[in-house]
Order: sequence, then C-alpha cells, then structure tokens
Amino acid sequence: MAVKTGDVLDSVAAIAKGLSVTLRELLSPTVTEDYPDAPPKFQERYRGLHVLRRDEQGMEKCVACFLCAAACPSHCIYIEAAENTAENRISGGERYAKVYNIDYNRCIFCGYCVEACPTDAITHGHGFELASYNTAALVYRKEQLLEPPKALTQAAD
Amino acid sequence: MADRVKLQIDGKTVEAPAGALLINVARQAGIDIPAFCYYDGLALQAACRMCLVEVEKAPKLLAACTLPVTDGMVVRTETAQVREARKAMLEFLLTNHPLDCPVCDKGGECELQDAVFRYGAGESRFTEEKLHVPEAQWSPVVYYDAPRCILCYRCVRICDEGLGVRALGVVNRGATTEIAPNRGDHLECDECGMCIDICPVGALTSGIYRYKTRPWEMKHVGTICTHCGDGCKTTLGVYGGQIIRGNNRDRSGINDEFLCIKGRYAFDFVHHPDRLRTPLVRRNGQLVETSWAEALDLVARKFSEVKARGRKFGVIGSNRTTNEENYVLQTFVRQGLGTNNLDHHRTGDVVSLVAALAGRQGALAASADLYQRKAALIVAADLAQQHPLLAFLLRANWRHHQARVYVVTPGPVREDSYAVRSVRAPSGEELAAVESLRDALAAEPELVILFGDSVKGERVRRLVEFGDSLGISVQYVCLLDYSNSRGAADMGVLPDLLPGYAPVEASGAPPGLTLPEMLDAPDLDVLWVIGANPLARRALTSKEAFVVVQDLFLTETAARADVILPAASAYEKTGTVTNTCGEVQRLRKAVEIPGTKSDLEIFGLLARRMGLPFGPWRPEEVWEEIRANVSGYNVPSALLAAGGAFPTFPASGLHSVRPKPELIRSAGDTLFTSGTLGRYCKTLSSVREAPGTLYRS
Repeated sequence: MAVKTGDVLDSVAAIAKGLSVTLRELLSPTVTEDYPDAPPKFQERYRGLHVLRRDEQGMEKCVACFLCAAACPSHCIYIEAAENTAENRISGGERYAKVYNIDYNRCIFCGYCVEACPTDAITHGHGFELASYNTAALVYRKEQLLEPPKALTQAAD
Repeated sequence: MADRVKLQIDGKTVEAPAGALLINVARQAGIDIPAFCYYDGLALQAACRMCLVEVEKAPKLLAACTLPVTDGMVVRTETAQVREARKAMLEFLLTNHPLDCPVCDKGGECELQDAVFRYGAGESRFTEEKLHVPEAQWSPVVYYDAPRCILCYRCVRICDEGLGVRALGVVNRGATTEIAPNRGDHLECDECGMCIDICPVGALTSGIYRYKTRPWEMKHVGTICTHCGDGCKTTLGVYGGQIIRGNNRDRSGINDEFLCIKGRYAFDFVHHPDRLRTPLVRRNGQLVETSWAEALDLVARKFSEVKARGRKFGVIGSNRTTNEENYVLQTFVRQGLGTNNLDHHRTGDVVSLVAALAGRQGALAASADLYQRKAALIVAADLAQQHPLLAFLLRANWRHHQARVYVVTPGPVREDSYAVRSVRAPSGEELAAVESLRDALAAEPELVILFGDSVKGERVRRLVEFGDSLGISVQYVCLLDYSNSRGAADMGVLPDLLPGYAPVEASGAPPGLTLPEMLDAPDLDVLWVIGANPLARRALTSKEAFVVVQDLFLTETAARADVILPAASAYEKTGTVTNTCGEVQRLRKAVEIPGTKSDLEIFGLLARRMGLPFGPWRPEEVWEEIRANVSGYNVPSALLAAGGAFPTFPASGLHSVRPKPELIRSAGDTLFTSGTLGRYCKTLSSVREAPGTLYRS
C-alpha cells in the first residue's frame, strides 16, 4: 500500500502541535510542588486543621454555644462548657469551652462548623499533616487547636 | 346567649364555648398565635401585643389573648398587616434585648428566638447603645438578667397566683422597668424555679443548669420525681452521662407545668461523691470493699443457712423502690425465705382507709379531682410544704373554679389565706374540729378529704363514717410521703397483708413481725433492709443479727451492716411507682452509675445463688404479673408506657384491719428536706429557706 503524502503531512502537523505544548510548558513556570522538601502552597480558603481564634484582648472567642457541634454532620466535635469567673476569665462571653475536642478520625473538613460559628471562633487553618499510626492521637484537644496568644507570637517575632 | 358559638379563623370554621378566649380557641384548632405574656391558667396581662389579629368589622388589630369569641366572628391571623405588627413588636422588644443567644442558657428553646426567626426583621435598625444592667443572683437556684427581660410578667403571676408565694414584683418605669424580688436583692420563697421555667426568654435562668450545655445536646428523659408522694413528672436533661437539669417544660404528666425545688433541682444525689459504688463487707469490724460476686455469695449463704435452721428473718422494704421491686421482694420473702416478717416505714394509714372504704369504687380521689371538685377539706397536713403538687392543684381549683377549701391543722398553713374556714386543732384531736365543720361541709355538693399521718387507725374509720354521714359525694386522699409509699402498701410490703391488701391468713400463715418488733426482737438472726434507714431512729436490739443493706449511701443503718450492696436510685431504673392519690406511673432510666445494681437485679442474683425457683426478673414481666395479680392494678399498659398516669384502687376483700396506729408516722419533710436522701441533695440545703419548718406559714 502506497503511503499518501497527505497522511505524512497530517502526522507531522500532529507531532508539531503536541510538541509545541511540551515546549510551551517547558518554558512556563512550574506548578508542581516540592512537598515535602518545600512547604506546600495553599489557596486562602483551603480547609485544613481547625484553629480556634482569640480576640484583640487575647481572650478565646469561643463561648461554647455548641452550634458547631450541632452543625457537624459527622459528630466529631465534643464540648464541655463552663462559666467564666472574675478570677478565671477565659472568653469574652459569660461562658467558655472548658473542653473542646475535634475527632479527626471523623472530621470530613466540610466547613459547616466554621459557617455555624456566631463568634468566628473556629476557622480552618492550613494544617493538613494529620496522619498518625495511632487513632487516639487524632482526637485534638483545645490546647492543640487554639491559636497562641498574640503577645507571645509578637514577642517571638 | 348561646352556649356554643361558631366563628371563622383563617377560613376555618371553628365551634367553641361562648366566652372562651380567641387565642385558646385558635390554638385548639391548630392555628398558632404567638404570645409572650399570655399563659394558660394565669391572669390576663395583654402586655406583649404579640397576639394581635385582624377581626372583621373591628377598626384595628385586636389582642387575641383578651378577646372572648363571639358568634359569627371572622378572624385572620396571618395577613400582611398582622405580620407587619408582629415584626414591629419584635423590633421593639429587641431594642434592649441583647443578642447574646450563643451564650444564653435559653438559646434553642427561647420563645423570643423562635418568634424572631418566624416573624422578625432580618436586620436591626436600632443603632443606639442598649441598656446594660449586670446580672443578679437572687438565690442559689435563680439568676436574673434584666436586659433580656421582655416584661411579660409571667414570673410575677405564677408566683403570686400559682403558688401564693408573692416573692416577685416590678420596679421602676418605662425602659428601666425590672422584675425584682420583694426582699430587694434576694428571694425568700419556695425556690421552686417555676419562674425560670415559665420565662419565655433567658431573663430568669437556673443556677444549677447554668452554662452547662445547650438544650438540643441533652437527652430528655421523662420520669417520676423520687422525693415526695405526689408523683410529679420531671424531665431530666442528661448530658455526658450526668443529669444536669430537671423541668417539666412540655407540661405533660399530672403536674402540668408544676415542679417544686425537689423535682426540679434535687437530682444531684445521683452524682454525690459519697454514693456507694462497690459492695462492702464487714471484716474484723471494718467495712471493706469487695466484689459483687463475693458479697452476693456471702448473703446467699447466710440467708440459706438461717432459712435451713428455721431462724428469724426481718425484712424492711422501701418507700422509694418501684412497685415491681416491692412485689418481687414480698414474693422473695414469703416464698423464698418463708416468713412474713416484712414491713416498711408507714407514713400514713392507707391500710385503714382501704379497710374503711371496703372496696367502694370511686372513693379515692385522683390528683385531677383536687382541681375539679367543688370543695376540699385538709386535715392534719401542711399541704404546701409536704405535698406541693396537691397544694398547687387545690389552689388552682380555688383560682379557676372558686373551690371552697376547709383547713383543720395544728398550726398555720398557706391554705389559710384562701380557705373558707380554718380551724386549729392539736395533733390527734383533729376529728372534733372536723365535726364542728359538719354543717358547712354537708352544704357542699361534693368534697375531697385529704388527711395526714395523725389521722390513723380507728380515727380513719371515724373520718370515713363522718364523710358518709354528710350525705354528699366524698372522696379521700391518704397523704403519704416518698415516691412509692402507696406502692409499698399496695404491693404487700406488710407483715399482715399480701399484694392488693389480701390478709395473709388466707395463705394459711400467721402475720409476721412489724418494723419495731423486728428491731426489738432479741433473737433476730438476719435483718435485711432495702432502701430504708430504720436505725436512724431506733436501735437494733439483737447484737448478733446479720445485717444486709441495699442503699445508695452509707446511712446509719448501712453503717451497722455486715454487707452493703450499692443500689441504683429511681432515676437509674425502669419500673412503676404509685403516688399518694393511687395513680401509677412509669419510671424511665436516665443514667447509669457504674458499680450499682437495681434492687430488682439484686433480688434476681440472690435468688439464683440461693437456688430458689424464681428470678431473674425483668421490670416489664413483673409489671404484667402485678396487673394480673394485684387488685386494682389492671390498668392499660400502653397508656402507662406513653407516660400517662392511671388511678388504681385496690378493692379486694379487706374489710377489717388490726389498727396499728403506733406504726404510722409521717417523715415530716418540708419543701427542703427529703428523708435520708435529702441529706445528699446539696441544692436543697444550699437555699436560705432550708430546712424549713411545718406549720409556720
């Protein structure tokens, strides 16, 4: 069977088109991340490990209203509430979360808790390195979720 | 004027009695009209203006809560004008109401929150600073947050009208108006917490439940209060295996919205640190912890040995255990141990009453009768202190139906304030005073007689004879303390009577020893005490007796025991209890305390170890047995399971009785005491009114 000139030209055009993509990508900046050798980049709204926020006075924003726990579809948030006293003031409101646990065995990072929070106390941070050989280690306590007091971070800067 | 009228609400034709309030008629027809100040059964206030509706031919919106229905009335409750009015009213209420719902204990079950969600504006136009007043603590159980208050006056009215306590009032004017205790900065009242429950917003909150959790997080368990004999339904809020709240917000049960301090707050004994959680046995004079198996083996061995030698048992049952447990206990003692030496602390002479009535149907009043009958006579009881629900119902009867109440007591009581006649008579001599009321009582169309512990033995028969001689319909209530005193008597925890008040002679055996006779018997070999504390008042004569105690705490009796088995309380088991009016109701298990077992389970384990031909028992099966065997208890199980109360009336052949007035003694509990159990309720002793005294109103 004789080779048709037209077919040859078509093949060359196809190869050239394909290679042009390769050449263009070769010259454009890379998008591949070097994780774990370099820190990964995140979109601003990436939903990672939760962070419990503090207000301007360094008080915890969480008032233990339980709305995050109510909104949570996987029931992974456990809260015990307690009353602020004059000697022991933890949050801005009358009540604070004495215990605030998130079970990352169950959390699906849907963000409903963040949406439900009336005081903007719970937010998604960018932490994602949660893997563990021990499921018990995946229940994060308030101390692990809370952002450090501003005064301390500023002193460190 | 026609008795019944026809009107139209939202296009629906409704028939109602003339003079009924529109808001009630609409609600019964399934049309909800929001209202804050209106509360069924209390005086009208018309303060909140939330219930405004459109009525045809009326020039402006009318308040449904004060509007009697008339024939041909055409009402619209959901027009644009009505919705606009509601929205405006809510905006007005929110001018000072803080938006701290996430913190507020009422959040999630707040009537204001619900109304704003339904009718309110999405945004507030109010930019001025809200008034701020610091929160006040009026008592260990009541907190008041003035800015949250919407001035509906429900609390003031329930305290004045419902309870007759008058602890709350209103101070200041206009925007600075506040509710305040009449004592200035603190409450001196019944500490019942009715004001908290009835508050539509979070202005009045409970000191016990304060900031513990949110309403939707709890498991709500409707059960029966274990304290006095009235049998109020209390809904326990359970969170994390702990009872943290009690109320009756759904207005179910015989008590409707009512609960006293005991039903609402005195559940804390359940989690008391002194609660026994391990069996204890006496070794070398000391009580030491042991396993269930070892303790039960020891008891079973001792029981079998004493039984084999034909020696003397003494068994004392409880006023707080369930009907099922009492029924099984008497089976165990009579058939398993072969003795009739079985008794309990009798707090009123219900045995004599049953004998005097001789099976006459309808002669025992149910709690609803206290609200419905035209007249009542209280003999020898401080009703408001000892039987708060019955006092509440009687007072409601006087408020709503102008019931005529007569009082014969040794000292002043709260009922004096509205009684037609109050007579003072020393304890034991009340019947002469009752006789002096004969003409007035005979003129009443019907009568309920409530009598306390000093009317006992022969006097009960004389009181019933007096009632018969009046020639009117008379019903009786024998007032008993504790949640299941009536059940203990009905189930035959008595030396001379089988379940349903059948004499033991019918079974061929002689009657057994009574409670004091057991304690005084020098040759008693075994004393088995289930949920009672007899040694608090009387010493045990027999030094050699082997004492087995099933209880929650190390009481005086338990301290003398050779074996203590830690028992579950009424809030930790299922079963039924019978209140002082004879209404049987179902307990539901709220929590479990590790290490304890219910008395029913303990009986089953002992029966197996002793090789007895019965047990183990399940409460549901025992209940069916009670229905089949105990006179008066054949009530519909389905109704009971649904949380209903059903009156029982034992009508078996008991027509004569050996009166034992010396055995009858009320616990004399006030609103703030509850027998031995009351000592372990910290809330009861924390209020300033505790412990209180009877006949000091």
